[in-house]
Amino acid sequence: MKLKGHKINGGKVEGEAIVCSDAFSFLGDFDPTTGNCTIKSPELEGKSMIDKILVCPTGKGSSRGPLNTYRAMKLKKSPNAIVCIEAEPVLAAAAIVANMPMVDRLDKNPLEVIKTGDWVKVDGDNGIVEVIQ
Amino acid sequence: MFLTKEEEGMLNGEYGLGVQRSMELLVKLGEAFDAEKMIMAQSAHIHCAISLDLLSELTEGAAQCRITTTTHPTPYPNLLDPVGCKRIGLPGNYDIYEFIHAGPWNKIEAIFKRLGYFLTYTCVPFYVGNLPKMGDVISWGGTSGAITATSMFSACGSRDSVPANVATSITGRAPYMGMAIKENRYAQVLVELDSLNNFTNADYGALGYYIGGKTGSKNVVISGLPQGLTLEQFRYLVSPMPVSGATNICHVVGVTPEARSLDEALGGRKPEEVITVGKDHIKEAVDRLTTADSDRVDLVKLGCPHCSIAELRNIASLLAGRKVHPNVRLFVATAKQIYVLAEAMGYVDVIKKAGGVFTNTCIGSQDPFNLLGPKLGVEIVATNSARSAHYSARTSGGEIKLLYGSTEQCIDAAITGRWRAT
Repeated sequence: MKLKGHKINGGKVEGEAIVCSDAFSFLGDFDPTTGNCTIKSPELEGKSMIDKILVCPTGKGSSRGPLNTYRAMKLKKSPNAIVCIEAEPVLAAAAIVANMPMVDRLDKNPLEVIKTGDWVKVDGDNGIVEVIQ
Repeated sequence: MFLTKEEEGMLNGEYGLGVQRSMELLVKLGEAFDAEKMIMAQSAHIHCAISLDLLSELTEGAAQCRITTTTHPTPYPNLLDPVGCKRIGLPGNYDIYEFIHAGPWNKIEAIFKRLGYFLTYTCVPFYVGNLPKMGDVISWGGTSGAITATSMFSACGSRDSVPANVATSITGRAPYMGMAIKENRYAQVLVELDSLNNFTNADYGALGYYIGGKTGSKNVVISGLPQGLTLEQFRYLVSPMPVSGATNICHVVGVTPEARSLDEALGGRKPEEVITVGKDHIKEAVDRLTTADSDRVDLVKLGCPHCSIAELRNIASLLAGRKVHPNVRLFVATAKQIYVLAEAMGYVDVIKKAGGVFTNTCIGSQDPFNLLGPKLGVEIVATNSARSAHYSARTSGGEIKLLYGSTEQCIDAAITGRWRAT
């Protein structure tokens, strides 16, 4: 399935999806030293986000979030890309400083059509997300 | 995105690598949010948690920042009062904070200095030389300062990230988006107050905490607050809003420069939503902030955001001739520049003689007691700051229990060791 959306940050990458149903913050929801998700839920807590495609509604929380994606990138523990419903400036900066492609405003709600574990191709330059179940 | 010749030059590397990378970041951000152009910015405020490698990347080759730039608190608690901090168990050894920085602090500070960042190390930049006026475009780390400057002075500060704050300080530019666009500033939710008066600072904080939780990222206007609202009261009101919610601007009719009337705050439109707040809602917010179920108090903390000189005078007058209970630690946070003034006024002496300890670190989201507290026997903390109460409960993973009330209640608890509800 191909979804058409809007470029936040360019680049082409693919990986396994990790879906988070709430607004995401890289400060609080993510540990840059392990690359693990720290959200207290049975599906997400302790799950590796390394090389994954993060799918979430939007960003939230501290302006320090991008410092954590930058650090994770240096440690090779960062996700590969971000796909979200609607970006906000902190989550966008988190993608930009860590060279992660990022796409938002897709023609279908990514939280409804992408499941954790799906293989996802993200083309940030053209704002295209391809889901391979 | 339209760029001027000078901005093109920055992007092409004519002004060095750091300026080029900073402009690249701002252009990418601007394009992501469909900004049509860059605009001149007047002020920046930089979070000290930035790592040495990222700071170096964004500033390499830049001789000076282009606009007034100040710095947020460091994570080191013992810079103002090392003796006091040692007495209450806070180590002078910086190594335990390395995980925050991922880089040696003295090198970060040397870059700040080289760039001409004023080493204010406070979350209240408007008290120490970084005071924006109406319409100024600001890129500030720290949501309490940004919402205060945007709502009290009508500056244009948007939800922003630390790397963007640095990039704007180096280039003097910001993408034309967010609060810089007048259309984005009008109030969407009207808050009306139902028989609320004689507010303490804690009531203002609880009101802000309640409103933030109800309105999310919507712009707010509050009608019916006293026109003589002081900057302190205003700070207590708006600081918790981006914590319980994601507020960018809160107009207070008759106080916010662009909200001389309710109609002006709303841009002549009807509000999308009207919320009425009364005594029960204030109580609901206080109950949410109160997680302790005992009246024992281990630590009292005041100064999130950092105390003004007037607040320090008030704390000193409440403590004059009294002693902090031997089982309680009293932790007071302020800017070094305000501390020097308080020293000249004799307030520091009174507070220290009573047993108070000063710091210029952050006692909110980065409060050292949030992580070290349980190891130091600090489990129950009283504060007059809704923002700080919220963050301590969360960043300690619930291990620190909170009591929330007025400055007077907090000082009473510091002296008696017991919390007394009003």
